[in-house]
Amino acid sequence: METATPSLLELQRALRVSLLTHDDRGISAHVVDAGMSPAERLDVYRNTFASVLTTALRLSYPAVHRLVGAEFFEGAARVFIEAHPPRNACLDDYGERLADFLSAFEPAASLAYLPDVARLEWAVNRALRASDAEPLDPRRLAVLAEAEKARVRFVLHPSVSLLRVDHPADLVWRAALEEDDRALSEIDPGSGAARLLVQRLATGVEVHRMGESAWRFTAALFAGRPLAAALDEAPDTEASALLADHLAAGRFIDFGLNETSA
Amino acid sequence: MDSHAAALRKARDSIPAEAGVGLRFRHHREVLESHPAAAWFEVHTENYLGGGSAPACLDAIRRDYPVSLHGTGLSFGSAEGLDPSHLARVRDVVERVEPALVSEHLSFSFAGGTYLADLLPLPMTEEALGIVCRNVAQAQDHLKRRILVENPSTYLRFRHSTIPEWEFLARVAKRTGCGILCDVNNIYVSACNHGWDASEYLAALPPEAVGEIHLAGHVVRRLDGGRVLRIDDHGSRVAPEVWTLYAEALALFGRVPTLIEWDTDVPPIAVLLEEAAHAAALIDEAESGNGHALAA
Repeated sequence: METATPSLLELQRALRVSLLTHDDRGISAHVVDAGMSPAERLDVYRNTFASVLTTALRLSYPAVHRLVGAEFFEGAARVFIEAHPPRNACLDDYGERLADFLSAFEPAASLAYLPDVARLEWAVNRALRASDAEPLDPRRLAVLAEAEKARVRFVLHPSVSLLRVDHPADLVWRAALEEDDRALSEIDPGSGAARLLVQRLATGVEVHRMGESAWRFTAALFAGRPLAAALDEAPDTEASALLADHLAAGRFIDFGLNETSA
Repeated sequence: MDSHAAALRKARDSIPAEAGVGLRFRHHREVLESHPAAAWFEVHTENYLGGGSAPACLDAIRRDYPVSLHGTGLSFGSAEGLDPSHLARVRDVVERVEPALVSEHLSFSFAGGTYLADLLPLPMTEEALGIVCRNVAQAQDHLKRRILVENPSTYLRFRHSTIPEWEFLARVAKRTGCGILCDVNNIYVSACNHGWDASEYLAALPPEAVGEIHLAGHVVRRLDGGRVLRIDDHGSRVAPEVWTLYAEALALFGRVPTLIEWDTDVPPIAVLLEEAAHAAALIDEAESGNGHALAA
């Protein structure tokens, strides 16, 4: 067995492999085994690694956890962690890929709506921890000429996002968090797509459904397209009322003027 | 600002040499509503990196209490160096909170671009010492302040280690000017796990560098063959043997700000305050019996 003194870099990479894949060949020869084998000692760190990350996922995905149960969740989390270990030290950032992972995770295949619930929970997490920013004061728009208003491009508040999912993930999410099994059983998972707006308010994160046309207008605005172009996206929308809603709810923090209104 | 208010504000900008408690999310509301008589609070830096309600609560708490930021993610032991984006995020929190103390660990958490979600042990070698010193110095430069570095609890040692951990820590402090966060529970846990003499460990630390003490509970895991491993889980009251070792530390270091940490099955703040009161009594006893150490 190779026992030449490793550099710190070599040792740390070998320990990484040991923690992620349970392959101790690169590390065990360097570990003092007094009274306990290297594998037993490494297991302490492997356990912490798995349990810290499983807890982080459970805190970020409480509805998914509730829907599949603790045992299933922990099993899925272990597979996920091995495939997608965290890349930075902020565990609030960890788990973004869980929805995609779940859509390919065979044991969860019977719960077709599960990846969409995970997508929504991730959007909720992002909203919860997004940077703070002062909302745009609507009076700043009042001084613009009509031609200028057509060219307005809004800057979205960091806590606001839009999400389109194929299943009624919002209904499932709410019922799961409220532990309302009756409501859960009454949801038709095949009832179609949901277009959702997610935003952090002072009272918590709000998720609300939008109609297709309102969503198209809103999506164009949130993507930073000029107001006139957003109106073209959804001509049948109550645009001025929607825009007033967005402004009143503090969904924008700033605006600029596009060179053209298209 | 009148002189009384100015004095209060100044008092909240430094950590008193008293017993504080680790503040976790479950305590936020209680602290804001009932304003418990805690001497100071310490929070985990990585829990406040974004916006929203958690940092807003901390802002409010910071107006009334001294606050210390305790990090777990800078990975001073990484051969690959510090993650500049994480360091920048930590600096944002430090600028927002203006904490009285900032601390981190003598360990590593990063390798091969992966965050390993634990405070992993370093080989105690000259190479590792150089790398830790370089990373600590970089962090102190970037944050524009002195950092305290904490001794970890460990469950394995490396064969090629050549420097006792206590000497390694003392040398990091000497070379970088950082302070030492002496975790008495970690010393006890590591000493039991590796057959070290905990008193010798304490006595080897430079008293003038010790800026804070940590206390917490640990579990005793019984393995087959009657073997025992102590694990630092921060999930119970401080063990009697650790209180004894703490009294020894106070006799050596004088009055030092002391923190009660609890991270697993976190209890109501009243339980933490009971533990803090016990620490405070020991601080006062040490003071009356060992007044000369106070100048430190």
